[in-house]
Amino acid sequence: MTTTEKLKKILVEELNLEELTPADIDDDAPLFGEGLGLDSLDAVELVVLIQKHFGLEIKDMDEGRTAFQSVRALSAYIDGRLNG
Amino acid sequence: MIGRDSRIVIGGVGVAGGFGCGVAALEQALRGGEVRPGRMTLPMPDGPVEIPAFMSDTTPLKDFIPLRTLRRVDHFSRLALLGAHLALADAGLPEAERAGLGVVIASGHGATGITFAFQDSFINDGDICASPTHFANSVHNSAAANISILLGATGPSLTVTQFHLSVPSALLAARQWLLEGRVERVLFGAVDELSRLTGHYWHRQHAHFAGIPSPLHTGAETAVPGEGAAFLLLSRAQDADAPGYCTLDSVTVGRKLPPRPLAPPVGLLVLGADGVPETAARYAAAAAGSRIACYTPLYGSMPPGPAFDIASTALALRSGSVFATPGGSSCDFPATVVPGGTPLGPGPAGILTLDDDDGHALVMLGRIRQPA
Repeated sequence: MTTTEKLKKILVEELNLEELTPADIDDDAPLFGEGLGLDSLDAVELVVLIQKHFGLEIKDMDEGRTAFQSVRALSAYIDGRLNG
Repeated sequence: MIGRDSRIVIGGVGVAGGFGCGVAALEQALRGGEVRPGRMTLPMPDGPVEIPAFMSDTTPLKDFIPLRTLRRVDHFSRLALLGAHLALADAGLPEAERAGLGVVIASGHGATGITFAFQDSFINDGDICASPTHFANSVHNSAAANISILLGATGPSLTVTQFHLSVPSALLAARQWLLEGRVERVLFGAVDELSRLTGHYWHRQHAHFAGIPSPLHTGAETAVPGEGAAFLLLSRAQDADAPGYCTLDSVTVGRKLPPRPLAPPVGLLVLGADGVPETAARYAAAAAGSRIACYTPLYGSMPPGPAFDIASTALALRSGSVFATPGGSSCDFPATVVPGGTPLGPGPAGILTLDDDDGHALVMLGRIRQPA
Protein backbone atom coordinates (compact mmCIF):
# COMPACT_ATOMS: atom_id res chain seq x y z
CA MET A 1 0.00 0.00 0.00
CA THR A 2 1.41 3.42 -0.92
CA THR A 3 1.61 6.24 1.59
CA THR A 4 -1.20 8.03 -0.27
CA GLU A 5 -3.47 4.99 -0.07
CA LYS A 6 -2.65 4.45 3.60
CA LEU A 7 -3.32 8.12 4.36
CA LYS A 8 -6.72 8.05 2.67
CA LYS A 9 -7.67 4.93 4.62
CA ILE A 10 -6.59 6.58 7.87
CA LEU A 11 -8.57 9.73 7.07
CA VAL A 12 -11.77 7.82 6.36
CA GLU A 13 -11.52 5.32 9.20
CA GLU A 14 -9.97 7.34 12.00
CA LEU A 15 -11.69 10.67 11.34
CA ASN A 16 -14.97 8.77 10.77
CA LEU A 17 -15.72 10.24 7.35
CA GLU A 18 -18.59 7.75 7.09
CA GLU A 19 -20.01 9.17 3.87
CA LEU A 20 -16.71 8.74 1.99
CA THR A 21 -14.53 5.87 0.81
CA PRO A 22 -10.77 6.27 0.33
CA ALA A 23 -11.34 6.23 -3.43
CA ASP A 24 -13.58 9.30 -3.15
CA ILE A 25 -10.73 11.47 -1.85
CA ASP A 26 -9.00 13.58 -4.50
CA ASP A 27 -5.21 13.64 -4.03
CA ASP A 28 -5.10 17.40 -4.58
CA ALA A 29 -8.26 18.48 -2.75
CA PRO A 30 -7.61 20.77 0.25
CA LEU A 31 -7.87 18.87 3.53
CA PHE A 32 -9.31 21.84 5.43
CA GLY A 33 -12.19 24.18 4.65
CA GLU A 34 -13.57 23.43 1.21
CA GLY A 35 -12.47 20.05 -0.10
CA LEU A 36 -12.51 17.42 2.64
CA GLY A 37 -13.94 19.95 5.12
CA LEU A 38 -11.66 19.12 8.05
CA ASP A 39 -11.25 21.64 10.89
CA SER A 40 -8.77 22.65 13.56
CA LEU A 41 -9.63 19.73 15.87
CA ASP A 42 -8.98 17.38 12.95
CA ALA A 43 -5.57 19.03 12.52
CA VAL A 44 -4.66 18.05 16.09
CA GLU A 45 -6.07 14.56 15.51
CA LEU A 46 -4.08 14.29 12.27
CA VAL A 47 -0.81 15.18 14.03
CA VAL A 48 -1.53 12.35 16.51
CA LEU A 49 -2.43 9.90 13.73
CA ILE A 50 0.75 10.61 11.78
CA GLN A 51 2.81 9.99 14.89
CA LYS A 52 0.86 6.77 15.60
CA HIS A 53 0.93 5.30 12.08
CA PHE A 54 4.21 6.66 10.66
CA GLY A 55 6.21 7.41 13.81
CA LEU A 56 6.69 11.04 12.75
CA GLU A 57 6.26 14.03 15.04
CA ILE A 58 5.17 17.28 13.44
CA LYS A 59 6.42 20.00 15.76
CA ASP A 60 7.05 22.85 13.33
CA MET A 61 3.83 24.77 12.60
CA ASP A 62 5.10 26.04 9.23
CA GLU A 63 6.07 22.53 8.19
CA GLY A 64 2.65 21.28 9.22
CA ARG A 65 0.85 24.05 7.39
CA THR A 66 2.58 23.10 4.13
CA ALA A 67 2.16 19.35 4.66
CA PHE A 68 -1.55 19.65 5.48
CA GLN A 69 -2.46 21.28 2.16
CA SER A 70 -3.67 18.04 0.56
CA VAL A 71 -3.26 14.27 0.63
CA ARG A 72 -0.56 14.55 -2.06
CA ALA A 73 1.35 17.19 -0.04
CA LEU A 74 1.06 15.20 3.19
CA SER A 75 2.11 12.00 1.48
CA ALA A 76 5.17 13.71 -0.02
CA TYR A 77 6.04 15.18 3.39
CA ILE A 78 5.83 11.76 5.07
CA ASP A 79 7.81 9.99 2.35
CA GLY A 80 10.40 12.78 2.41
CA ARG A 81 10.94 12.46 6.16
CA LEU A 82 10.92 8.68 6.15
CA ASN A 83 13.37 8.45 3.28
CA GLY A 84 15.36 11.61 4.01
CA MET B 1 -39.69 29.70 44.82
CA ILE B 2 -41.92 26.66 44.39
CA GLY B 3 -45.30 27.53 42.85
CA ARG B 4 -48.68 26.25 43.98
CA ASP B 5 -49.16 23.86 41.06
CA SER B 6 -46.36 21.36 41.62
CA ARG B 7 -47.53 18.93 38.97
CA ILE B 8 -45.00 18.05 36.29
CA VAL B 9 -46.18 16.79 32.92
CA ILE B 10 -44.45 14.28 30.64
CA GLY B 11 -45.11 15.89 27.26
CA GLY B 12 -42.86 13.83 25.00
CA VAL B 13 -41.20 10.42 25.02
CA GLY B 14 -38.18 9.34 22.96
CA VAL B 15 -36.89 5.78 23.24
CA ALA B 16 -34.37 3.57 21.48
CA GLY B 17 -33.53 0.07 22.58
CA GLY B 18 -33.49 -3.58 21.58
CA PHE B 19 -37.18 -3.31 20.61
CA GLY B 20 -36.50 -0.62 18.01
CA CYS B 21 -36.69 3.13 17.87
CA GLY B 22 -39.48 5.53 18.88
CA VAL B 23 -42.68 5.48 20.90
CA ALA B 24 -44.52 3.47 18.24
CA ALA B 25 -41.89 0.70 18.41
CA LEU B 26 -42.10 0.59 22.21
CA GLU B 27 -45.89 0.50 22.12
CA GLN B 28 -45.78 -2.29 19.52
CA ALA B 29 -43.41 -4.26 21.78
CA LEU B 30 -45.67 -3.67 24.79
CA ARG B 31 -48.71 -4.87 22.86
CA GLY B 32 -46.84 -7.79 21.27
CA GLY B 33 -45.36 -8.84 24.59
CA GLU B 34 -42.10 -10.26 23.27
CA VAL B 35 -38.77 -9.01 21.96
CA ARG B 36 -36.11 -11.57 21.09
CA PRO B 37 -32.61 -10.63 22.27
CA GLY B 38 -29.91 -10.26 19.63
CA ARG B 39 -26.27 -11.27 19.94
CA MET B 40 -23.20 -9.28 20.89
CA THR B 41 -19.79 -10.49 19.70
CA LEU B 42 -16.86 -9.96 22.05
CA PRO B 43 -13.24 -10.39 20.94
CA MET B 44 -11.44 -12.70 23.38
CA PRO B 45 -7.90 -14.16 23.43
CA ASP B 46 -9.22 -17.61 22.43
CA GLY B 47 -11.52 -16.30 19.72
CA PRO B 48 -14.76 -14.34 19.64
CA VAL B 49 -17.50 -15.06 22.17
CA GLU B 50 -21.18 -14.28 21.62
CA ILE B 51 -23.54 -13.26 24.39
CA PRO B 52 -27.30 -12.60 24.17
CA ALA B 53 -27.98 -8.86 24.33
CA PHE B 54 -30.58 -6.21 23.53
CA MET B 55 -28.57 -3.93 21.22
CA SER B 56 -29.80 -0.57 19.97
CA ASP B 57 -29.35 0.74 16.43
CA THR B 58 -28.59 4.46 16.11
CA THR B 59 -28.87 4.59 12.31
CA PRO B 60 -32.17 6.58 12.49
CA LEU B 61 -30.19 9.46 14.01
CA LYS B 62 -29.16 10.43 10.47
CA ASP B 63 -32.77 11.57 9.95
CA PHE B 64 -32.11 14.32 12.49
CA ILE B 65 -28.39 15.14 12.19
CA PRO B 66 -26.07 14.94 9.11
CA LEU B 67 -23.53 12.10 9.27
CA ARG B 68 -20.66 14.56 8.90
CA THR B 69 -21.78 16.37 12.06
CA LEU B 70 -21.90 13.06 13.92
CA ARG B 71 -18.43 11.87 13.01
CA ARG B 72 -16.89 12.89 16.35
CA VAL B 73 -19.85 11.62 18.36
CA ASP B 74 -19.41 8.17 19.92
CA HIS B 75 -22.07 5.45 20.23
CA PHE B 76 -23.01 6.48 23.78
CA SER B 77 -23.75 10.08 22.81
CA ARG B 78 -25.45 8.94 19.58
CA LEU B 79 -27.86 6.89 21.66
CA ALA B 80 -28.53 9.93 23.83
CA LEU B 81 -28.96 12.24 20.82
CA LEU B 82 -31.39 9.83 19.22
CA GLY B 83 -33.51 9.62 22.38
CA ALA B 84 -33.39 13.41 22.76
CA HIS B 85 -34.48 14.12 19.19
CA LEU B 86 -37.25 11.54 19.36
CA ALA B 87 -38.63 13.04 22.59
CA LEU B 88 -38.65 16.57 21.17
CA ALA B 89 -40.24 15.37 17.94
CA ASP B 90 -42.84 13.41 19.91
CA ALA B 91 -43.69 16.50 21.98
CA GLY B 92 -43.75 18.69 18.85
CA LEU B 93 -41.48 21.27 20.48
CA PRO B 94 -40.46 23.81 17.84
CA GLU B 95 -36.75 24.46 17.34
CA ALA B 96 -37.24 28.09 18.38
CA GLU B 97 -38.34 27.02 21.86
CA ARG B 98 -35.30 24.88 22.64
CA ALA B 99 -33.11 27.76 23.76
CA GLY B 100 -33.85 27.67 27.50
CA LEU B 101 -34.20 23.92 27.67
CA GLY B 102 -32.50 22.26 30.64
CA VAL B 103 -30.80 18.91 30.00
CA VAL B 104 -30.51 16.25 32.71
CA ILE B 105 -28.90 12.91 31.89
CA ALA B 106 -28.83 9.75 33.99
CA SER B 107 -26.27 7.04 33.27
CA GLY B 108 -25.08 4.10 35.31
CA HIS B 109 -21.80 3.52 33.48
CA GLY B 110 -21.22 6.53 31.23
CA ALA B 111 -19.33 6.41 27.93
CA THR B 112 -17.40 3.22 28.66
CA GLY B 113 -16.55 2.39 25.04
CA ILE B 114 -14.73 5.62 24.24
CA THR B 115 -13.28 6.03 27.75
CA PHE B 116 -11.52 2.68 27.55
CA ALA B 117 -10.51 3.27 23.91
CA PHE B 118 -8.85 6.46 25.16
CA GLN B 119 -7.07 4.58 27.94
CA ASP B 120 -6.04 1.81 25.52
CA SER B 121 -4.43 4.42 23.28
CA PHE B 122 -2.19 5.46 26.20
CA ILE B 123 -1.16 1.88 26.82
CA ASN B 124 -0.68 0.86 23.19
CA ASP B 125 0.83 3.97 21.63
CA GLY B 126 1.97 6.22 24.50
CA ASP B 127 0.31 9.32 25.91
CA ILE B 128 1.50 11.49 23.03
CA CYS B 129 -0.82 9.51 20.71
CA ALA B 130 -3.94 9.88 22.85
CA SER B 131 -6.83 11.00 20.67
CA PRO B 132 -8.24 14.43 21.54
CA THR B 133 -11.62 13.36 20.13
CA HIS B 134 -11.69 10.29 22.36
CA PHE B 135 -10.84 12.50 25.32
CA ALA B 136 -13.67 14.95 24.56
CA ASN B 137 -16.16 12.08 24.42
CA SER B 138 -14.87 10.42 27.58
CA VAL B 139 -15.64 13.24 30.01
CA HIS B 140 -18.48 12.80 32.44
CA ASN B 141 -20.96 15.24 30.89
CA SER B 142 -20.22 14.36 27.23
CA ALA B 143 -23.72 13.20 26.23
CA ALA B 144 -25.38 16.22 27.85
CA ALA B 145 -22.83 18.48 26.15
CA ASN B 146 -23.40 16.92 22.74
CA ILE B 147 -27.17 17.29 23.18
CA SER B 148 -26.91 20.89 24.35
CA ILE B 149 -24.62 21.86 21.47
CA LEU B 150 -26.34 19.99 18.65
CA LEU B 151 -29.89 20.85 19.76
CA GLY B 152 -29.10 24.44 20.67
CA ALA B 153 -30.31 23.90 24.24
CA THR B 154 -28.64 26.70 26.18
CA GLY B 155 -30.16 26.00 29.61
CA PRO B 156 -28.22 24.25 32.37
CA SER B 157 -27.08 20.67 31.87
CA LEU B 158 -26.31 17.97 34.40
CA THR B 159 -25.30 14.32 34.40
CA VAL B 160 -26.13 12.13 37.39
CA THR B 161 -24.55 8.74 37.99
CA GLN B 162 -25.77 6.52 40.80
CA PHE B 163 -25.72 3.16 39.05
CA HIS B 164 -29.16 1.44 39.45
CA LEU B 165 -30.65 4.55 41.05
CA SER B 166 -29.29 6.99 38.45
CA VAL B 167 -32.71 7.58 36.85
CA PRO B 168 -34.70 8.48 39.99
CA SER B 169 -31.78 10.50 41.38
CA ALA B 170 -31.53 12.52 38.18
CA LEU B 171 -35.31 12.92 38.08
CA LEU B 172 -35.16 14.54 41.51
CA ALA B 173 -32.89 17.24 40.07
CA ALA B 174 -35.00 17.68 36.93
CA ARG B 175 -38.17 18.02 38.96
CA GLN B 176 -36.57 20.52 41.31
CA TRP B 177 -35.35 22.70 38.42
CA LEU B 178 -38.91 22.90 37.17
CA LEU B 179 -40.51 23.52 40.56
CA GLU B 180 -38.03 26.30 41.31
CA GLY B 181 -38.74 27.88 37.93
CA ARG B 182 -35.07 27.61 36.96
CA VAL B 183 -36.17 26.36 33.54
CA GLU B 184 -39.52 26.00 31.81
CA ARG B 185 -38.73 22.61 30.35
CA VAL B 186 -36.28 19.83 31.04
CA LEU B 187 -35.16 17.28 28.51
CA PHE B 188 -34.56 14.35 30.83
CA GLY B 189 -32.88 11.23 29.54
CA ALA B 190 -31.26 8.00 30.63
CA VAL B 191 -28.62 6.28 28.54
CA ASP B 192 -26.12 3.45 28.74
CA GLU B 193 -24.24 1.52 26.09
CA LEU B 194 -23.12 -2.07 25.82
CA SER B 195 -19.48 -1.55 24.98
CA ARG B 196 -16.79 -4.21 24.71
CA LEU B 197 -15.93 -3.43 28.32
CA THR B 198 -19.44 -3.81 29.77
CA GLY B 199 -20.07 -6.80 27.50
CA HIS B 200 -16.89 -8.44 28.78
CA TYR B 201 -17.95 -7.74 32.36
CA TRP B 202 -21.35 -9.33 31.71
CA HIS B 203 -19.70 -12.35 30.07
CA ARG B 204 -17.54 -12.89 33.15
CA GLN B 205 -20.12 -12.18 35.85
CA HIS B 206 -23.48 -13.40 34.57
CA ALA B 207 -25.12 -16.47 33.13
CA HIS B 208 -25.51 -16.47 29.34
CA PHE B 209 -29.28 -16.73 29.42
CA ALA B 210 -30.44 -16.88 25.81
CA GLY B 211 -34.22 -16.92 26.23
CA ILE B 212 -36.81 -14.31 27.08
CA PRO B 213 -36.08 -12.82 30.52
CA SER B 214 -38.47 -13.94 33.24
CA PRO B 215 -37.84 -11.56 36.15
CA LEU B 216 -40.98 -12.45 38.13
CA HIS B 217 -39.61 -15.96 38.64
CA THR B 218 -36.85 -15.49 41.14
CA GLY B 219 -35.32 -18.97 41.20
CA ALA B 220 -32.82 -18.58 38.37
CA GLU B 221 -30.91 -15.83 36.61
CA THR B 222 -32.73 -14.88 33.41
CA ALA B 223 -31.22 -11.45 32.87
CA VAL B 224 -30.10 -10.33 29.39
CA PRO B 225 -28.01 -7.15 29.15
CA GLY B 226 -29.40 -4.20 27.25
CA GLU B 227 -28.42 -0.77 25.98
CA GLY B 228 -30.44 2.20 24.90
CA ALA B 229 -31.79 5.63 25.66
CA ALA B 230 -35.11 6.76 27.11
CA PHE B 231 -35.88 10.48 27.10
CA LEU B 232 -38.79 12.51 28.49
CA LEU B 233 -39.70 16.12 27.87
CA LEU B 234 -40.85 17.52 31.22
CA SER B 235 -42.58 20.80 32.00
CA ARG B 236 -44.75 22.27 34.72
CA ALA B 237 -48.41 21.56 34.13
CA GLN B 238 -49.15 25.29 33.97
CA ASP B 239 -46.59 25.72 31.15
CA ALA B 240 -47.43 22.59 29.18
CA ASP B 241 -48.41 23.17 25.54
CA ALA B 242 -50.43 19.97 25.27
CA PRO B 243 -52.03 17.51 27.70
CA GLY B 244 -49.11 15.09 27.45
CA TYR B 245 -48.88 11.48 28.60
CA CYS B 246 -49.20 11.73 32.37
CA THR B 247 -48.06 13.69 35.39
CA LEU B 248 -44.85 13.06 37.30
CA ASP B 249 -46.26 13.38 40.82
CA SER B 250 -43.36 12.49 43.08
CA VAL B 251 -39.92 10.94 43.22
CA THR B 252 -38.49 9.41 46.38
CA VAL B 253 -35.07 7.86 46.77
CA GLY B 254 -33.99 6.25 50.02
CA ARG B 255 -32.11 3.54 51.83
CA LYS B 256 -35.03 1.57 53.24
CA LEU B 257 -37.88 -0.15 51.48
CA PRO B 258 -41.02 1.99 51.30
CA PRO B 259 -43.78 1.00 53.75
CA ARG B 260 -46.47 -1.35 52.42
CA PRO B 261 -49.14 -0.72 51.39
CA LEU B 262 -47.69 2.20 49.48
CA ALA B 263 -49.14 5.62 50.29
CA PRO B 264 -50.77 7.01 48.24
CA PRO B 265 -52.17 3.65 47.14
CA VAL B 266 -51.05 2.71 43.67
CA GLY B 267 -53.30 1.16 41.05
CA LEU B 268 -50.30 -0.42 39.39
CA LEU B 269 -46.76 -1.00 40.62
CA VAL B 270 -44.24 -1.42 37.79
CA LEU B 271 -41.19 -3.34 38.95
CA GLY B 272 -37.68 -2.76 37.65
CA ALA B 273 -36.86 -6.42 38.34
CA ASP B 274 -34.64 -7.63 35.51
CA GLY B 275 -33.83 -11.26 36.27
CA VAL B 276 -30.64 -10.54 38.24
CA PRO B 277 -30.60 -12.74 41.36
CA GLU B 278 -29.07 -10.06 43.63
CA THR B 279 -32.27 -7.99 43.54
CA ALA B 280 -34.93 -10.63 42.84
CA ALA B 281 -35.75 -11.44 46.49
CA ARG B 282 -35.89 -7.75 47.41
CA TYR B 283 -38.34 -7.02 44.59
CA ALA B 284 -40.45 -9.97 45.70
CA ALA B 285 -40.55 -8.66 49.27
CA ALA B 286 -41.25 -5.07 48.25
CA ALA B 287 -44.04 -5.99 45.83
CA ALA B 288 -45.85 -8.53 48.01
CA GLY B 289 -49.59 -7.86 48.00
CA SER B 290 -49.38 -5.31 45.17
CA ARG B 291 -50.90 -5.24 41.69
CA ILE B 292 -47.81 -5.40 39.54
CA ALA B 293 -46.42 -5.37 36.00
CA CYS B 294 -42.86 -5.69 34.71
CA TYR B 295 -41.63 -4.69 31.25
CA THR B 296 -37.86 -5.21 31.48
CA PRO B 297 -38.00 -8.35 29.26
CA LEU B 298 -38.64 -5.95 26.36
CA TYR B 299 -35.42 -3.94 26.76
CA GLY B 300 -33.10 -5.90 29.03
CA SER B 301 -31.03 -5.29 32.10
CA MET B 302 -29.36 -1.87 32.27
CA PRO B 303 -29.16 1.14 34.61
CA PRO B 304 -31.50 3.27 32.41
CA GLY B 305 -34.17 0.57 32.76
CA PRO B 306 -36.32 2.71 35.13
CA ALA B 307 -36.63 5.39 32.43
CA PHE B 308 -37.99 2.74 30.04
CA ASP B 309 -40.33 1.65 32.85
CA ILE B 310 -41.52 5.25 33.15
CA ALA B 311 -41.99 5.53 29.38
CA SER B 312 -43.96 2.26 29.29
CA THR B 313 -46.13 3.33 32.23
CA ALA B 314 -46.69 6.75 30.66
CA LEU B 315 -48.00 5.00 27.53
CA ALA B 316 -50.30 2.86 29.67
CA LEU B 317 -51.61 5.89 31.58
CA ARG B 318 -52.33 7.72 28.34
CA SER B 319 -54.12 4.72 26.84
CA GLY B 320 -56.01 4.10 30.10
CA SER B 321 -55.22 0.40 30.39
CA VAL B 322 -52.40 -1.86 31.48
CA PHE B 323 -50.03 -3.56 29.05
CA ALA B 324 -49.56 -7.25 29.76
CA THR B 325 -46.36 -8.28 31.50
CA PRO B 326 -44.24 -10.16 28.92
CA GLY B 327 -44.09 -13.85 29.69
CA GLY B 328 -47.56 -14.17 31.20
CA SER B 329 -49.34 -13.41 34.45
CA SER B 330 -47.61 -15.79 36.83
CA CYS B 331 -45.00 -14.94 39.42
CA ASP B 332 -43.47 -16.92 42.24
CA PHE B 333 -44.16 -14.43 45.05
CA PRO B 334 -47.47 -13.24 46.53
CA ALA B 335 -48.41 -10.42 44.18
CA THR B 336 -51.04 -10.00 41.47
CA VAL B 337 -49.73 -9.62 37.93
CA VAL B 338 -52.32 -7.33 36.33
CA PRO B 339 -53.62 -8.80 33.04
CA GLY B 340 -53.16 -6.81 29.85
CA GLY B 341 -56.11 -4.59 28.94
CA THR B 342 -57.19 -4.05 32.56
CA PRO B 343 -58.47 -0.47 32.87
CA LEU B 344 -56.32 1.78 35.05
CA GLY B 345 -58.21 3.41 37.89
CA PRO B 346 -57.85 7.03 38.97
CA GLY B 347 -55.02 6.23 41.39
CA PRO B 348 -51.37 6.82 40.51
CA ALA B 349 -48.99 4.24 39.10
CA GLY B 350 -45.69 3.60 40.82
CA ILE B 351 -42.35 2.61 39.31
CA LEU B 352 -40.21 0.79 41.85
CA THR B 353 -36.44 0.53 41.44
CA LEU B 354 -34.14 -1.33 43.83
CA ASP B 355 -30.38 -1.56 43.79
CA ASP B 356 -28.33 -4.55 44.94
CA ASP B 357 -27.54 -2.93 48.28
CA ASP B 358 -30.42 -1.46 50.31
CA GLY B 359 -31.39 1.49 48.15
CA HIS B 360 -34.79 2.00 46.62
CA ALA B 361 -36.66 4.58 44.58
CA LEU B 362 -40.32 5.10 43.87
CA VAL B 363 -41.55 7.32 41.03
CA MET B 364 -45.27 8.10 41.05
CA LEU B 365 -47.08 8.94 37.82
CA GLY B 366 -50.68 10.15 37.57
CA ARG B 367 -53.31 10.14 34.87
CA ILE B 368 -54.15 13.38 33.14
CA ARG B 369 -57.84 14.00 33.42
CA GLN B 370 -59.32 14.88 30.08
CA PRO B 371 -61.53 17.98 30.09
CA ALA B 372 -65.23 17.09 30.29
